[in-house]
Amino acid sequence: MIDVIDLKKKFGSTEVLKGINVTIEKGDIVVVIGPSGSGKSTFLRCLNCMEDPTGGSIIFNGVDIADMSVDINIHRRHMGMVFQHFNLFNNKTVIENIMLAPVHVRCQEMKAARRKRIFGSGKSSSGEAPLPTRAQIRAGAREEALALLRRIGLEDKADVYPSTLSGGQKQRVAIVRSLAMNPDVILFDEPTSALDPEMVGEVLDLMKSLAKEGMTMVIVTHEMGFAREVANRVLFMDGGTILESAPPEEFFTSPKHARTREFLSKVL
Amino acid sequence: MGNFGNKWNKFVEIFLLQNGYVKVLEGLQNTLLIAVCGLIVGILIGTVIATVRVIPKYKRLPRILNAVCSFYVGLFRGTPMVVQLLVFYYVLLPLLGVKMTGVQVSIMVFGLNSGAYISEIMRSGIQSVDPGQLEAGRAVGLSFSTSMLEIVIPQAVKNILPTLGNEFIALIKETSVVSFVGAADLYVAFSFIGSNSYEFMVPYLVMAAIYIVLVLFISLLVAVMERSLKKSDRRN
Repeated sequence: MIDVIDLKKKFGSTEVLKGINVTIEKGDIVVVIGPSGSGKSTFLRCLNCMEDPTGGSIIFNGVDIADMSVDINIHRRHMGMVFQHFNLFNNKTVIENIMLAPVHVRCQEMKAARRKRIFGSGKSSSGEAPLPTRAQIRAGAREEALALLRRIGLEDKADVYPSTLSGGQKQRVAIVRSLAMNPDVILFDEPTSALDPEMVGEVLDLMKSLAKEGMTMVIVTHEMGFAREVANRVLFMDGGTILESAPPEEFFTSPKHARTREFLSKVL
Repeated sequence: MGNFGNKWNKFVEIFLLQNGYVKVLEGLQNTLLIAVCGLIVGILIGTVIATVRVIPKYKRLPRILNAVCSFYVGLFRGTPMVVQLLVFYYVLLPLLGVKMTGVQVSIMVFGLNSGAYISEIMRSGIQSVDPGQLEAGRAVGLSFSTSMLEIVIPQAVKNILPTLGNEFIALIKETSVVSFVGAADLYVAFSFIGSNSYEFMVPYLVMAAIYIVLVLFISLLVAVMERSLKKSDRRN
């Protein structure tokens, strides 16, 4: 689904990624670990071009999204992203946070379809279904958002602002916000690093249930236990390259690279 | 005080009997019209400029736009409002062959001028919003402009509301120069009363009082708006 070919990223003169090659298949759960400064967050942020790569290509569903002439917004709609600091929209209620992107995108599609009908070919449009109105789109999105909130048990928080939620609740809302777009893959950038220890569990549980449903996920994390349990591949990064890529059992029990062994001995 | 009583009587006579109050009401209307419209135009211009100035500048077009905006802000912050009014009214408009009334020119110049100041206020407001907010908007596939409009700018406006109130107060007070281009504001009205009674003390004191009342009223309005915006942010 995602083919990363010789991905490079420079910030000024510092080379953070020195040629990354990875293939992520549908249903993969890839966990990226490594010491701080190893480039793992940058790698993740390059996958949806939050950081523009300075070299190489990222083939997502057959399109090279590292190409600057591609309309990245369309492709990002199929790639969810979850941030370390949640980044819920502070000026919107919980349910508006979830509805914003779906409503916006569907309204845009509706307008495009309307334009096409008005200015398109002269064929009669009597047989076509009527286009949804903005209100209908909003109502539909609201239903879906409520269903997502029900899933994480926060239905009663639909109309409060994010500032009243706990960290764990915020992160779970952020995860379902990315789910609302029905993405093909979700990128997690240290989703539990900013949480109180007692809230880590609820977020990891939600991620596990996504994994069971077959969601493709790329996760940067320091939760080794979670990596071992959920991942089907672990990437170890250091100094801007992938040093080791292996299934979790093999990775944690018999790491091949000396640097991996050194890192694991410190964190396990 | 007998002297003051005399002056007061003269003022009241002209204010009430010689239609002085009509002039004052007209002046008040123009003052508010120029300040409010100027502020609205200023906010629109300021928001656009501030947005241009925070766009990432990899490509050529944003760089050119940024240079144009810098020039604009420098020009309008670097010259006094009176000079701008005079240049527009007596130089630019005749050159272009456009006919505008003093009030229209004033609204335009006040809008352009406050746009330059508001752009800087708005820029600091936008930069005070956590960059993660924009990132989250972009990450769900919204465009830069949609993310700015839906997420960043509403939060920025909330942060800068007190400063915008300040700008509005400054605009109200600066309207006292529009008589330079023949717009009838409060100053013109009270000068009329003063010159008709050969007595300026009372009219100018009353004028000062009206400005103070206006400004206090606006301060109150801003405080109320601020409170209601804060409320929506922290329930429970």
